[in-house]
Amino acid sequence: MNKIRAVRNLRICSKDCLCLYVCPTGATDTETGQIDFSKCIGCGACSKACPSGAISMVPYQYPKQQLKDELVIAKLNKLIQSKAEQEQMAEHIYNSSNNNIEKQLAKAFIRANRLMSEDLYRESGFMLPQSKNTKDFLESLLEQANEEILKKDIEKLIKLLDFNE
Amino acid sequence: MKKYICPICGYVYDETKEGVKFDDLPDDWKCPLCGAPKKLFKAEAIEVIVSEDMEEETLREMNYAEISALCSSLARGCEKQYLEEESKLFTKLANYYKNKSKIKESVSFEELISKIDKDLEINYQQARNIASEKEDRGALRVITWGEKVTMILKSLLSQYKDDKEFIKNTKVYVCDICGFIYIGDEKPEICPVCKVPSFKLFEIERGA
Repeated sequence: MNKIRAVRNLRICSKDCLCLYVCPTGATDTETGQIDFSKCIGCGACSKACPSGAISMVPYQYPKQQLKDELVIAKLNKLIQSKAEQEQMAEHIYNSSNNNIEKQLAKAFIRANRLMSEDLYRESGFMLPQSKNTKDFLESLLEQANEEILKKDIEKLIKLLDFNE
Repeated sequence: MKKYICPICGYVYDETKEGVKFDDLPDDWKCPLCGAPKKLFKAEAIEVIVSEDMEEETLREMNYAEISALCSSLARGCEKQYLEEESKLFTKLANYYKNKSKIKESVSFEELISKIDKDLEINYQQARNIASEKEDRGALRVITWGEKVTMILKSLLSQYKDDKEFIKNTKVYVCDICGFIYIGDEKPEICPVCKVPSFKLFEIERGA
């Protein structure tokens, strides 16, 4: 298997269908509109032929997670802690309010705070789902998990993810 | 004559060009680009006073709300790599831990505002100092976006305090990348904070 594969950005794809014409394996011809990854050999012909720039070649394996300074992580964690609390506060306001304008605003706050926490995590060592950090995190969740269904899902994830370090 | 800068999108109000003093603009004047209220604007070249309070932080255990956020973050990471099954599993975990996290007993808007103030006055400043010192570009990026979004949250709460119906006749959008909340009839062409095109801004609908 080649180390890269083609992916199609469905938002940009203008159905010029030249990828179908050049693909040696038929991987670009699917019902879902996405490339059939099991057929893609990573040759890049579709990406070069696409007039709308909708297909890009992405790696199967990404470089290792960059090392982050511990103090930077500590400061970002402090922000994550605060955003997570604010998300919960907004959640509480949402659940306890009868006013639909207040609820609407609370909903926007829940979303905004969650998005900020997610982004902070990405910059504190969890950019890649395939990193050792993610692996350690999932393993610690597994250790604490006491429900069978939950355990199964975590185990499945650990198995599926192609850890790179 | 001075210049005033929008802290959210960087729009510059130049008194010389506009011919109207910034102070003479009406109180309900808003940034023409991103809708940030007048009082958020800052005069050019004002030095930010940075808190010296730099206590050491030790890493502590994550709580359920934080575990949930990390799981949803990883779900998005998988989505970016077109790893559909992995993304779904992470989303499932995110929902599981979100439900496990305890919801507060009671919350006042004041508590929320004081959390936001602490982020703006201390947490972002400290994080920025360390990230600059360590030359961590990624961290500086997330700090810059997050700080702007947090400023908007603060301004929305203070507007809501003054007028409980200030969003009644307009719409609410959230940028799905940085979390910026935009209040207005039509969404901007790009997000004023992270500059992502408008299709990544989603409307938050009002329930019946």
